[in-house]
Amino acid sequence: MTRKLTPDPSCSIGGIKMADQGAADPGNNNNNKPEASDGTIIKVTVKTPKDKEEIAIAEDASVTQFKEEISRRFKAKQDQLVLIFAGKILKDGDSLSQHGIKDGLTVHLVIKTAHKAGDGGSTSASSSTSTQAGNTSTSSPAGFGDLSGLAGLGMGSANFMELQQQMQRQLMSNPEMLSQIMENPLVQNMMSNPDLMRQMIMANPQMQQLMERNPEISHMLNNPELMRQTMELARNPAMMQEMMRNQDRALSNLESIPGGYNALRRMYTDIQEPMFSAAREQFGNNPFSALGGNSESGAQPSRTENREPLPNPWGPPNSSSPAEGGGAPTGSTSTTGGTNPSVSNPLGVNPGSLGNGMFNSPGMQSLMQQISENPQLMQNMLSAPYMRSMMQSLSQNPELASQVLMNNPLFAGNPQLQDQFRSQLPVFLQQAQTPEVRFQSQLDQLTAMGFINREANLQALIATGGDINAAIERLLGSQPS
Amino acid sequence: MDQHDCYPVKLYIYDMSRGMARQLSPLMLGRQLDGVWHTAIVVHGKEFFFVGEGVNNCPPGGTPLGEPDSIVDLGSTEVPEDLFMEYLLSLAESAYSGDKYNLFEHNCNTFSDEVAQFLTGEKIPSYITDLPSEVLATPFGQALRPLLESIVINPGGNNITGKR
Repeated sequence: MTRKLTPDPSCSIGGIKMADQGAADPGNNNNNKPEASDGTIIKVTVKTPKDKEEIAIAEDASVTQFKEEISRRFKAKQDQLVLIFAGKILKDGDSLSQHGIKDGLTVHLVIKTAHKAGDGGSTSASSSTSTQAGNTSTSSPAGFGDLSGLAGLGMGSANFMELQQQMQRQLMSNPEMLSQIMENPLVQNMMSNPDLMRQMIMANPQMQQLMERNPEISHMLNNPELMRQTMELARNPAMMQEMMRNQDRALSNLESIPGGYNALRRMYTDIQEPMFSAAREQFGNNPFSALGGNSESGAQPSRTENREPLPNPWGPPNSSSPAEGGGAPTGSTSTTGGTNPSVSNPLGVNPGSLGNGMFNSPGMQSLMQQISENPQLMQNMLSAPYMRSMMQSLSQNPELASQVLMNNPLFAGNPQLQDQFRSQLPVFLQQAQTPEVRFQSQLDQLTAMGFINREANLQALIATGGDINAAIERLLGSQPS
Repeated sequence: MDQHDCYPVKLYIYDMSRGMARQLSPLMLGRQLDGVWHTAIVVHGKEFFFVGEGVNNCPPGGTPLGEPDSIVDLGSTEVPEDLFMEYLLSLAESAYSGDKYNLFEHNCNTFSDEVAQFLTGEKIPSYITDLPSEVLATPFGQALRPLLESIVINPGGNNITGKR
């Protein structure tokens, strides 16, 4: 059928219908072009999810008329069309001007597909939730399929990852929850099944990465005896303390070896103490006493066995221990799959993976959290003197630094970015330190040689990029003597 | 009179860098960026967002990013849930399928903007949609561009088409 594209003065809006040329339209004024001169024509963009068309229509046309035009253009039936503008659904009885549709504006269109409208339409929401329950997002371990048990704990989500996420959040905010969870017989059952626990732990991608880097961990996980023991411990805090003491006693035997005491001491002050204090300070106080060198409190009584219980970094039993090996499925802060922390084995992991573990400890995590909440802290932290040594060691050991940064969710799951960052890390760390920090050792050397003008030394070092000999040349050249 | 109810529509804004961007951006980019923004639309009791897998949804605040940094009220919509899901499915099959994700040009914020306009006629705040161009205007952004383009953000949730 041909449509008239030009106004025909013989027809009028709402008036007598004259036969269109060859058109056989039912009895309403089907021409969207206003024949009479009252309405101006506006161009309205009609946008579907897949498509977009510009449609010219009378300013005072009704929605019905608009839909007719649209149904022609989009080759769809009028009753399949749903028009939306400014959040409102345009009903047939309305007019375009009533909704404020003017020239150049965009109206959204959804074309209901017949069969989808029936079953997909109202039930699409429910069917998508049922597929959620059906295929859980990560490869959840077999035994975990029935989540209804845990739903009783107050977390009703059907999705494993969400569950994990929620649990983590709640645990971080409410330590007593963990003890409640531990007491739940279902959880205890679950935890006494080492295969299940292993599967759960391995399902976590960060854990997998950790395992790749540290094969000892996978060995540990694969040892069912060890797993069972660990889980016993996690459940039973008294037993855990017992184990710790045993290991502490073993460690103190090390003292009798020549040089052993120093090694221990070093290990403690450099690594463990910040971690312990950080964990202890977790609930509020100054996070920097953690990283500072509290060497006074670190002074161990020489040569005698330390009879005092060492501070339990995981606080009172079961509180704030989200990262316990084998503990509730938290995933991302997993320091270990297995062994217990103690002085001898500070992070419960093989010392080979010590560096990584430190930054995964709960204390450090909370520190990071505090920092991110208060960015000023970060500035302070970076400029603090004790950070200097840490930064230096970080910059010398890019591997370590990369592991720190890997915990950031921004990087999780993207190995490419991690690689890139790893290679760029030395540059980045250089920039993060001030020149004075970077050249600290050189500055010291220069001072020892007799160049007492620190400012000049620094300038020279900056100019020569840290090269001491060249810096000396510069200094000698500029000094009058 | 409106036959349909009004459903409130909110925009959840997350800073994916957790404050690090605010601190480090002057250092790394040479200009101040307050965050690396990820947004999602919350309507009909669910949160919808566009990521590397496609259009996903989850309970509000249910991604690993946790609670949003800020929530903007976009108004309300008459669009009922079934119609909205159809619209989303249509989008997911066309412009917003997983492979169309591009960190700079066609990302979660593009999606949120479009859905917001569909639902309410409002756009999302411009500081969010302007972010990619701001980053690309810095030398650092330009240098890292090939790398960043390969990043695909996958913070979880469920794909609405049921595929993974």
